[in-house]
Amino acid sequence: MKIKFIFLLFIVFYLTIVVRLFFLQVIYSPANKSEYLKTNKLNPIRGRIYDQENQALVLNQNSYQLYVEPKKIEDKDKLLRLLSESLKVEEASISAKLDMSKYWVAIAGGLPQEQKDKIDKLNLKGIGFDYQTKRFYPEASLSAHILGFLGKDNQGEDVGHLGLEGFYDRDLRGLPGFVETERDILGRPILIGVQQRVEAEDGRDLILTIDKNVQEISKNRLLEGLEKYKAKKGCVITADPKTMAILSLVCLPDYDIEKYYLFNENFYKNLAIADLYEPGSVFKPLIVAAALDEKKIKPNDTYNETGQIAVGEYNIKTWNDKYEGKISMTRILEKSSNVGMVYIGEKLGNKKIYNYLEKFGFGQNTGIDLEGEASGYLKPKANWYPIDYATVTFGQGIAITPIQMIRAFASIINGGYLMKPYIVQKIISKNKITEIKPQVERRVVSQMTSEIIRKMLISTVENAEAKWDRPKGFLIGGKTGTAQVPIKGIYDASKTIASFIGFAPANNPRFLTFVILYEPQSSQWGSETAAPLFFEITKDLIVYYGISPSQ
Amino acid sequence: MKNIFLKTTGLIMTGLVIANLFVFISGIVISDEINNFEQKTDNLHKINLTLEKEAANLSSIKFAQSQAKEFSFTNSTAPQYIDQLKFAYR
Repeated sequence: MKIKFIFLLFIVFYLTIVVRLFFLQVIYSPANKSEYLKTNKLNPIRGRIYDQENQALVLNQNSYQLYVEPKKIEDKDKLLRLLSESLKVEEASISAKLDMSKYWVAIAGGLPQEQKDKIDKLNLKGIGFDYQTKRFYPEASLSAHILGFLGKDNQGEDVGHLGLEGFYDRDLRGLPGFVETERDILGRPILIGVQQRVEAEDGRDLILTIDKNVQEISKNRLLEGLEKYKAKKGCVITADPKTMAILSLVCLPDYDIEKYYLFNENFYKNLAIADLYEPGSVFKPLIVAAALDEKKIKPNDTYNETGQIAVGEYNIKTWNDKYEGKISMTRILEKSSNVGMVYIGEKLGNKKIYNYLEKFGFGQNTGIDLEGEASGYLKPKANWYPIDYATVTFGQGIAITPIQMIRAFASIINGGYLMKPYIVQKIISKNKITEIKPQVERRVVSQMTSEIIRKMLISTVENAEAKWDRPKGFLIGGKTGTAQVPIKGIYDASKTIASFIGFAPANNPRFLTFVILYEPQSSQWGSETAAPLFFEITKDLIVYYGISPSQ
Repeated sequence: MKNIFLKTTGLIMTGLVIANLFVFISGIVISDEINNFEQKTDNLHKINLTLEKEAANLSSIKFAQSQAKEFSFTNSTAPQYIDQLKFAYR
């Protein structure tokens, strides 16, 4: 009887377990699974960005999101007061976020470790922290327009905007992984249970062609230049003319990259790649190079500069309305003669002018690896009037971006190759390093033409009408530009875009620098504003690169 | 015979219970260790990011500029030499 009773007891006991297991594993399976089976997303670390010397420009740092669980708060007033003091935010704004009907409310994101530790010490009930990573910029906003910034999309996920963050978002982002483990009530893994882990693939690191020291020199000098010449805004682009690897790219005003959300959209615009403008006289060497290449002119050919010339109903004159009589083609560049350029344009012919504009890449994206590039506008050939062909020879009546200008200019001094400008030279993932090589788009002019135009541009600097404080003993080539700004179809004489594009050392260019100042007030001329600024930058770069004098 | 069978069954059952206990306790110990290692890895990861940040700060241009200023490695105005001392004697 006793044995039967014990047997029955065991049967009931086991049946209870079986029934309970059936309920847990079959009937309430999905709901209960989450109690012991934990699936966590493994966030990849976003790729870092370094300059050409592997000096960090963008890193990641620890950061925390502060949240509150309203149901667990003991003293709401105390919590609001202490959080307000720690976060340096008004109590009212924290209170506005704190919806007491909810279980979880995010209060502040992006808190650094020190601030988190400080709040932890307050021992407040009902608060907690979620770990996040945040972008960190060791050089602050030195390269704001190049780097872009990291914002959020509609789902609250990180997404890169503008510059490199935007262009290389997929590479930088990486792939998330996940870990699925069965855990006991204390959160410890149950070894005989489900254990599955797919590692996250961290984002790829980028190594740039940018040299942060050249960037610093350019930015400081541009800042000084904007103040000195009272210009509205400006840009400095420095590139290796042989490869079009960008060494520095600065446009001012820029924005605080850490607090990008405090600035309006106008500050985000990278003028160097997104601003369309009429280049003015810096454009002249391109037309001269085209005419040389087509053998329509030779450097020592002469032109009789007697006065203004009429094209249709328009009169074209030189910048000072003075004329020198018989002058060489080189002299046309030296004195930046508009009428001389119209003569060269006529020798080249309208069809060839248009062909060369296309060959130089105007009206097309340069393909630079930065988000936000504008392609410029080259109106269809059928819409060109004779006056358009005349004015384009001295850089008016055509809208281009500064990056298109420097790329086209590089092609006439590097042996004739139109290169694709680029900023990233290496993409580094866990198992692979991808090198990005300089890319030739096409040949625009011959080696011979390139050598001739380089010499003409040296002569342009040596014999220019303005005298500059140039670094002694160094051969430098370049060209000034003063473009009038069209406002509602009419050129406003008081508003100009002053520029200078030049290279050094001229016999074997190590760098090509393009300086643009928008609406300078101290003088409207490029020769009195952008050119001196260019020579200041050049002096610094000559010292930085340790270039020896050649003369 | 029956006695031997009962004793053997008892021994096996006891052995299994002890083995079960051992596996159970080992499981808890190893789970704890896994938990600890996970936390340590997370901490190392955080420390790594902090060190990376400090290293980058120390090699930044901003830091170099502040050091240069501290040690007076800044551009000095060119000295003006007095070559006509008669003015100084006046």
